[in-house]
Amino acid sequence: MNSMKLKLIYPEEKIKEPILSKLCKTFDVDINIRKANVQEKVGWLELELIGKEEEIEKAINWLTDQGIDVSPIEGQVFVE
Amino acid sequence: MAKVRALKCKECGAEYPVEPLHVCEFCFGPLEIVYDYEEIKKNISREKIEKGPKSLWRYIDLLPVDKATVGLSAGFTPLIKAENLGKLLGLNNLYIKDDSVNHPTLSFKDRVVAVALSKAKEFGFDTAACASTGNLANSVAAHAASAGMNCYVFIPSNLETNKIIGSLVFNPTVVAVDGNYDDVNRLSSEIANEFGWAFVNINVRPFYSEGSKTLAFEVAEQLGWKIPDVVVAPLASGSLYTKIWKGFNELQEVGLVEGNLPRMLGAQAEGCSPIYQALKEGRDFIKPVKPNTIAKSIAIGNPADGPYAVKVAKESRGDIQIATDEEVIEGIKLLAKTEGIFTETAGGTTIAVLKKFAQAGLIGKDEVVVAYITGNGYKTMEVLEGKLNKPIHIKPSLIEFKQKVIGEK
Repeated sequence: MNSMKLKLIYPEEKIKEPILSKLCKTFDVDINIRKANVQEKVGWLELELIGKEEEIEKAINWLTDQGIDVSPIEGQVFVE
Repeated sequence: MAKVRALKCKECGAEYPVEPLHVCEFCFGPLEIVYDYEEIKKNISREKIEKGPKSLWRYIDLLPVDKATVGLSAGFTPLIKAENLGKLLGLNNLYIKDDSVNHPTLSFKDRVVAVALSKAKEFGFDTAACASTGNLANSVAAHAASAGMNCYVFIPSNLETNKIIGSLVFNPTVVAVDGNYDDVNRLSSEIANEFGWAFVNINVRPFYSEGSKTLAFEVAEQLGWKIPDVVVAPLASGSLYTKIWKGFNELQEVGLVEGNLPRMLGAQAEGCSPIYQALKEGRDFIKPVKPNTIAKSIAIGNPADGPYAVKVAKESRGDIQIATDEEVIEGIKLLAKTEGIFTETAGGTTIAVLKKFAQAGLIGKDEVVVAYITGNGYKTMEVLEGKLNKPIHIKPSLIEFKQKVIGEK
């Protein structure tokens, strides 16, 4: 089993959707939420995504397709 | 190592042993070095520092490294009294901390990389890595070469190769990843967690970022062991800005300087200003943005230390301002024509924002102000194309010279 620590940021229009519940039903992954702040206009979650490498990858791609901003917990690693 | 006590989570305070760790296992907060200042106080003095090497390693007592082995000549860059620029801005005590001449790769990154790779060698790593096409890659590749370490540099594959010649020359393995910057970020993070490599701004980041404190130490020493009233520094990930603040705090803590801490003024480019926006909107978290600015070296859309930079701006009674691309170019030109220093866009942003603060009357005319210039303009000359005066063309004739250049009739 692999795991990835991720930060998810939800845009306003996605806050009311059960995104993580759908994620776990669609892909063979577990989630472990460590920190979250969901408000009216924006929400963020820090979580661990646990599963096989390819399932994690598919899950991340799906989240991105849903309009969720997915980044590693380190923030932006890339420096110009 | 007695001077370093532990690593500590900046969020929940959980402590960890001094190992290549960077994220709290419980709350995923970033880890920071905790020093034993009482122990350090016993060994540190102005005299001892002044007798030390002419590099950032004269402050080794306040760095998380036992023995300096990499980047031995990094740091100790000039602090220049900027009389001409000061006069123009109405500031009588303006100084430029000039890291555009840092050794060996002409940016402040030589400081953080020197500390990161010295520590990495202590930990027994034989491979250094980073994700960058700019100053960070230059510095990691150069230091890894001189330290005899393997080096991997990750870039997005759609990048023109000539962008990375300044890194390729040091012969690292460059991995061009099919995907955008976000994909490179995620892959780098996965690699850092799986491979036994020192990924400088991931798993050795707590040590890496400590190198920026030397920007505060040097300024205080160069001012005759005084803390400036005002600091102006660029904000990218927010790490440099917060560590300069930490550096001045530590000097006070160990009794090397007295007096008030500086007001921390930060500079971002308008086209990538997530920290500025968080401060202005009173948020405690960063909303990532897609960068759209010529100031590429500070264009970090999702800055890891953004929330802490916001905190420092408030705690120090400072502020953050932004500059448009045009203002950035004007900033570069202004510093060049007044002080003879050629900086890149990050420095242009800093000077543009310094000018705004000065003109808004937010800096007292006799206050001691230090503006941090973090990179060298010779690396990114393309941003000035079409923005400078053209040569005056003449035939090889004295008459034409007098007419066209001197303006004689």
